[in-house]
Amino acid sequence: MLRLRPVRVLHAQMQRSRAAQVAALAAVWLAGNQATRLLGLPFPGAIVGLGLMLLLLSTGWVSPVSVRRGARFLIGEMLLFFVPAVLAVMNHAEWLSLTGLKLFGAVLLGTLAVMLGTALAVDLSYRWWVRHAVR
Amino acid sequence: MPSAEILASGVFWSVATIAAYLAARTLYRRLPRWWLSPLLVAPALLLAAALATRVGYESYIRGTHWLMLALGPATVAFALPIYEYRAAIRRYWPVLLIGVVVGSSLAIGSAWGLASLFGLSDALRLSLLPRSMSMPFALIVSGGIGGVPDLTAVFVVATAVIGVAVGEVLLRWLPLRSTVARGSLFGMGAHGAGVAKATEIGGEEGSIAGLVMILSGVANVLAAPLVVLLLG
Repeated sequence: MLRLRPVRVLHAQMQRSRAAQVAALAAVWLAGNQATRLLGLPFPGAIVGLGLMLLLLSTGWVSPVSVRRGARFLIGEMLLFFVPAVLAVMNHAEWLSLTGLKLFGAVLLGTLAVMLGTALAVDLSYRWWVRHAVR
Repeated sequence: MPSAEILASGVFWSVATIAAYLAARTLYRRLPRWWLSPLLVAPALLLAAALATRVGYESYIRGTHWLMLALGPATVAFALPIYEYRAAIRRYWPVLLIGVVVGSSLAIGSAWGLASLFGLSDALRLSLLPRSMSMPFALIVSGGIGGVPDLTAVFVVATAVIGVAVGEVLLRWLPLRSTVARGSLFGMGAHGAGVAKATEIGGEEGSIAGLVMILSGVANVLAAPLVVLLLG
């Protein structure tokens, strides 16, 4: 019992500190980057890191409580992290013309198609699945 | 520019970006209207500041691109919702799989088809392809297929804002009886903003939307090199 105490103290600290959790998630991301580089994987480090984190959670090596606050922060405030890229729009004054209208049309019609198609495919397959799974 | 000036400009624009983000977030909490979405207001405030001080995108991004490094850990953080909603994955996996495959195919196919139909340039067309994915996945895919990630970022934001509005209209007249269909509609069509909207409708819609967004993003990133290989 006594031997486990430092681990438990560390665990309790991890559950409190959002910054420590963000640092831990960043460490997993860096590990993913290293794995990609060393093994020559065709996937970016962030995706390898996601897989690694999922493995750590499902094997019980890391408890979800130890990363929850950090993960919610990173996902919830994501706009702050990508807003710099959106400012690229200032290099495209030419979008204040027909091109801009075409881009708007492509996004609007495309989104309509994606939502309509996805929702109908999911709804129909769900109903079919429920009908056939029950009997 | 001397390096001290570059540093000062970087600090200034980083602080301005964080301030614009916090201001936009606070405004939306007080007045939650779709046209006051932080996705629009934060870039608009920064755009106004950059135009007023005659700062170009190149010097703006040089000082603020460090913020974008957090998208890496944020992608890793997506493991948590996958783990927390694993019961929903086990329960709905065949349906979620159909949603992800149909949704991703429609997203990529419609972007390609409409861009070709409207005669948009190759750079715009490739940058439009990943516009329905959550931002970190979209930026990865855009770079991987030869698009311009900065342009993709603009299209991803446009998709989120337009998608929430389109989704609300569709939900009113589509006879969707299952929560899984309502959730998939928003998660596939309007990524992060859609997940927020779906969560307003119901907790299960929100978790399904989040799962569909993350799983389709991962699937697209994994599939992108194969697609490039097949086309190239």
